[in-house]
Amino acid sequence: MKTILASLAVAVETGKRNDAKNLTQSLVDKGMAPLDIVEQGLVPGMSAIGNKFKKNEVFVPEMLIAARAMKECMILLEPLLAKAGIKPKHTVVIGTVQGDLHDIGKNLVSMMLKGANFGVIDLGANVDPSKFAAAAKEHGASLIALSALLTTTMPAMKTTVDAIRASDMAKLKIMIGGAPISQEYADQIGADGYSADAASAVDLALSLVGETH
Amino acid sequence: MGLHDHPDKLRAAIQSALDTLEEERATETILLAYGLCGNGLIGVRAGRCQLVLPRAHDCISVFLGSPASHEAVLKADPGTYFYSPGWIRGRRVPGPDREAYLRACYAPRYPDDPEVVDDLIEADREIFAQHGCAAYVDLTNDSAAESYCQDCARHLGWKYRRLPGDPTLLRDLLTGPWDAARFLVVPPGHAVAQSPGGALLAASAT
Repeated sequence: MKTILASLAVAVETGKRNDAKNLTQSLVDKGMAPLDIVEQGLVPGMSAIGNKFKKNEVFVPEMLIAARAMKECMILLEPLLAKAGIKPKHTVVIGTVQGDLHDIGKNLVSMMLKGANFGVIDLGANVDPSKFAAAAKEHGASLIALSALLTTTMPAMKTTVDAIRASDMAKLKIMIGGAPISQEYADQIGADGYSADAASAVDLALSLVGETH
Repeated sequence: MGLHDHPDKLRAAIQSALDTLEEERATETILLAYGLCGNGLIGVRAGRCQLVLPRAHDCISVFLGSPASHEAVLKADPGTYFYSPGWIRGRRVPGPDREAYLRACYAPRYPDDPEVVDDLIEADREIFAQHGCAAYVDLTNDSAAESYCQDCARHLGWKYRRLPGDPTLLRDLLTGPWDAARFLVVPPGHAVAQSPGGALLAASAT
């Protein structure tokens, strides 16, 4: 099964969604636990393409086709995960801040968080600052993740953090990310953490909810 | 032109150009008609000379005369995608020629896999799917570029808008004096840094 897992990781990394789906199905047929397939096949594939992206070796469309391959595998696996009684231990509310319609980075982080067994409430893009705290309350989330792509929409990140801190969910952990964002900016606006890419967003999310990776 | 898609490469190319300019002993000040440019300018170092930059998000703030005008357009319609004569030149902007550009990029990378190339082109369309307005900004009245932008809007089914350019910021960069509200002066030995408030740019000791 190790060979099939390795092939699955490569299929995800190279965005071959049909191969990835078939390999996932064959691992299921062989009796592999769905969570193991996610953690040892899908996530390593996404991490590999993420590392190449970080090194400027691939472009955004290559990340997108990998994410789509992983998504199709997750569609197969999610009912099996639920059936196996695997429930997300933590829930995260995620969205792109107001004025910013870009959702690619946010979608990649969502996918990686799902892969790490987080419950993900995705509010989409161009999200009103007041909606994050309300959704976190409604869904019992322990973490809020904010994304922004543009330097023009960075101020909306501060407005959103301020709105969460002024709400009755003020103590929730907040993580931020996006092309123009830095750790320094996170510190400045009072966010609890910053991550530079989707894979390290998972490590950050785990540490913010008190889990060690 | 492709450097703007890769801020790390843009930074390296600008630094290398600056280093060359600084070798000319008579040079004292270098004007950079750039803004944050996707943080491509962050970390650019002044050696012996001082650097001057307009406080701008990118060239669109420069063409529109201020970052405030740039922000106002996006606030009114977050789905705006800006076109300018220079940005159009590479024929890689969203529009009728982008697919050919992408095929030329990807086909050599995936010579045995035309299906992946098609998937990548489709994924690229997804990247721009949230936009709905092609906004043309120009300081030069380049009618061919404007007409190309209109073609792009038609091709994509987007609205078309012509935004009036304002050369004041660019002119004042070239002539000085550089007031601190609109320009960043990076002293020798310092680097360009991000300033997350309204100032956008700051100088930091390296």
